[in-house]
Amino acid sequence: MSQFFVSLLLILLGGLCSLFLVKQAKFARTTTVFLLSAGCFLGLIDAVTKLVQSGTAATSFKYLNVFSLTFQIDGLSAFFLVAIFAVSLLSAIYSFHYMDNSENGMKTAVNYFFFSILIASMALVVTAANMITFMLSWEIMSLSSFFLVIYKHNSSESRRAGYLYFIFSHVGAMFIFAAFGIVYGYTGSFGFGGMDSLPETAKILVFIFTFIGFCTKTGVFPFHVAETASIPVAPCHVSAVMSGVMIKTGIYGIIKIYVLLDFPTPLFGNIVLVTGVVSGILGIVYALGQQDLKRLLAYSSVENIGIILIGLGIGMIGVSSQNPLMAVLGFTGGFLHILNHSIFKTLLFMGAGMVLHKTGTRSIDALGGLLKNMKITGTAVIIGSLAICGLPPFNGFVGEFFIYIAGFKGVSLDKSAFIMSIIGIVSLALIGGLALACFTKVIGIAFLGEPRTKAAVNVDEKGPSMLLSMSILACACVLIGIFPKLILWMPVKAVSALGLGIGRVPPEPFGQMAGNITFAAVVFLVVVILVIAIRWFFYRNKIIGSAGTWGCGFSQPTVKMQYTGSSYASFILDFFRPAAPLSEDHPKITGRFPLKTYYKSHVNDIAELHMNRVIVNPVLFLFDKLRWIQHGDIHLYIGYILLAIILLLFFI
Amino acid sequence: MIESILLWLLAVLMAPFFSGAILKVKAFFGGRKGPPLLINYYTLIKLFKKGSVYSTSTTLVFRLGPIISLASAATVLMFLPIAGHQPIFSFNGDIIFILYIMGIGRFFTIAAAMDTASPFEGMGAAREAYFPIICEATTFMILIFFYRLTGDLQLSAYFTGDNTIGLWNLAGAPLLFVVISFFIVLLTENSRVPVDDPATHLELTMIHEVMVLDHSGPDFGLIELGSFCKLFFYSTIVSRLILPFDLGFFWLNFGLYIAGLVIVYVAVGVTESVIARYRMDKVPQFVLTSFALAFFATIITLEFIK
Repeated sequence: MSQFFVSLLLILLGGLCSLFLVKQAKFARTTTVFLLSAGCFLGLIDAVTKLVQSGTAATSFKYLNVFSLTFQIDGLSAFFLVAIFAVSLLSAIYSFHYMDNSENGMKTAVNYFFFSILIASMALVVTAANMITFMLSWEIMSLSSFFLVIYKHNSSESRRAGYLYFIFSHVGAMFIFAAFGIVYGYTGSFGFGGMDSLPETAKILVFIFTFIGFCTKTGVFPFHVAETASIPVAPCHVSAVMSGVMIKTGIYGIIKIYVLLDFPTPLFGNIVLVTGVVSGILGIVYALGQQDLKRLLAYSSVENIGIILIGLGIGMIGVSSQNPLMAVLGFTGGFLHILNHSIFKTLLFMGAGMVLHKTGTRSIDALGGLLKNMKITGTAVIIGSLAICGLPPFNGFVGEFFIYIAGFKGVSLDKSAFIMSIIGIVSLALIGGLALACFTKVIGIAFLGEPRTKAAVNVDEKGPSMLLSMSILACACVLIGIFPKLILWMPVKAVSALGLGIGRVPPEPFGQMAGNITFAAVVFLVVVILVIAIRWFFYRNKIIGSAGTWGCGFSQPTVKMQYTGSSYASFILDFFRPAAPLSEDHPKITGRFPLKTYYKSHVNDIAELHMNRVIVNPVLFLFDKLRWIQHGDIHLYIGYILLAIILLLFFI
Repeated sequence: MIESILLWLLAVLMAPFFSGAILKVKAFFGGRKGPPLLINYYTLIKLFKKGSVYSTSTTLVFRLGPIISLASAATVLMFLPIAGHQPIFSFNGDIIFILYIMGIGRFFTIAAAMDTASPFEGMGAAREAYFPIICEATTFMILIFFYRLTGDLQLSAYFTGDNTIGLWNLAGAPLLFVVISFFIVLLTENSRVPVDDPATHLELTMIHEVMVLDHSGPDFGLIELGSFCKLFFYSTIVSRLILPFDLGFFWLNFGLYIAGLVIVYVAVGVTESVIARYRMDKVPQFVLTSFALAFFATIITLEFIK
């Protein structure tokens, strides 16, 4: 454990450094990034070794002589620590040049300070071994990310997003508190152990409460509103960490509670699977409708969390229907997708960061033709997009392949498991197709074609540290896609550490499946090389001309005539109209010589639409009626506190 | 193994011929003589002899488009049992890999179209991204059906030897639904009437053809060959499904297979001759029909096949 705490100390020290050295901005940034990277690197090595040895380590501290703060690293924690430290390491490196021309030194320093706290608290969340420790770390994580979200506190968009995020985090935490309260009521201890001795109804209640609580952090539909608002407004290296790993601490919580409850009811699996399906499909539909690049990526996280939940749900159904292979494959697929998603989503956010850095706009429809001058960024984003669409030979495919195989195992089961498996498989297929549409939009509109506005003309890509982290991640996407064995052992170890009551995890099918993927990927690459050779053969000594794009006879094309992202997506969004209503705003065109006009469209998120109507307005109405309590007289406030305590004494 | 490789080569070489046969059928219905049966070979040779003109808007992605789309179609054929014979490669779950490899072909076709900055190609790309989504759902529904029957997840378990006739014996009636449903997927995925009209002359109404407007010379040849191979892939499966018999001798099976292919391609030609293409907003309903059919077939298996 000591190495783990040393790495956390280094990370926190880095954060403090940036605060203390705020006067020497450049020096401060160098030291901070160095310390952060060193800490993350140490932590990464520690986590990987812990995962290899598959042992557990635990430490305990007494805090205020009342609560004991207990930390434990087991297979599951080590697995998540790998993702947390790896992504944070690369994001810290990336931030070195990303925060380069920040106008305000103090803002940067504060940002780094909370960034370091966020990394450390995420690591603490996944290692916490009792409820107090867990909630403490959880709150620190929520608060530090809140301060990162309001980085641009002078823009109203950021403030609104931060506010939403704050409320959602705390409502979610309240649900988790409630669940832990139930557990404490039965077991009388703050430890995680003993949850399996709860009566069945209590178990179901605890699972549902924690599920809702963790879903608000994970950004599952319909709790994604805060995530999709806040992730885009944070600086890009923070978005990368938040979207890449922070939201997955929620997944960690769901798995942890599921394992602790040790209650193989099909209900849990069904809940998780259906939530995954809804959030997967709607997440990618809304992503498709976004014009803001970072918001699109945030919605696509909702989708990928959906895929992960589909995998976990299938795994849970496998556990409840006593099908070990289905269970292990489902969980492994979900875990693989956790790792893979943190790789390609971080990569895509970094790419978006580079675009934002150089063009100053997040609007996809204002970009175009970026690939011509942003060769490395463009290639990296294309690789990331291919990976996120789940296409072979990139890493996104590997996790989805395992989830598919697990789902098909469920097809041969009885009725409810059969229906659930069908839903899982078909929605995975739908999500795959929609993701392809969504990311061809990103690539096609932002990176290909011609620049649509001045912002996108003649942009370059500079910042070696940014390019370095993107290249590393892009290489990882390709390498893992071709050789899944490189990381497959991690999920397998983590799943076997879960102890799902299905005995030892047989390693044979995994090795074989990974081998098949490698083999098929190599076949495809060989064919590609063959076709390239054929093409080269036919192009020897040929005249290659160049001319403008064929405009079907029209000889005065302008860049404005290109297809926009909104029109590209409109066909598909039409199909999903009930779930994604479109609001349009344009004046009617009249007369023979119409004046200059405009067209605005916005794809509405039904969760956002109904949140106001169903929750916010009634709550406001209620609190408006209670406003008289809030009169500003301090004496009476102290009286309230006394009254509350006395009342509580009566009841307890 | 050698035989499988030879069959694969034969498939790639035969694919243009059958696509030419569709033109002949259409010409017959139109009362015309039609182009020669080998027209597609002449076109390919002509294209491969030429040079190319590239749009100044394009990047490397535009050049990758034809390469990846042909490579994906050719790879897919390697996993396909041709004439009931073992395919070159086969493993558990290969069908999922195949479907996703087709996805990467589509990704690059769309990306290449968007790379030209042409409004028409963008429109085609948007449609190309849309319709296959429903097709994919249908295909996976059909896979669930096959998995329910055989417990296997590879093409060779469905289409080699007497496996196909086994499927018919097990669930003949629902399999009829599946054949129709898969034929609809064939029409949609390969941009045939009533989803798309490959012979139309108006760019606004095209899907696949408009996406490749800017490709020329050998690049265009690769794309054409790729789309012939793709159609051949789907036709082979339908052919095997409608004539599932295993006659014991390789050449008899091969003859049977060719007969099946002729039936499928003639059916495509007849469809193209007798119905008009649907309005764009009607197409999703047509494609959804295929999903509904596959879904019914699968639900029936739940009751009857234990």
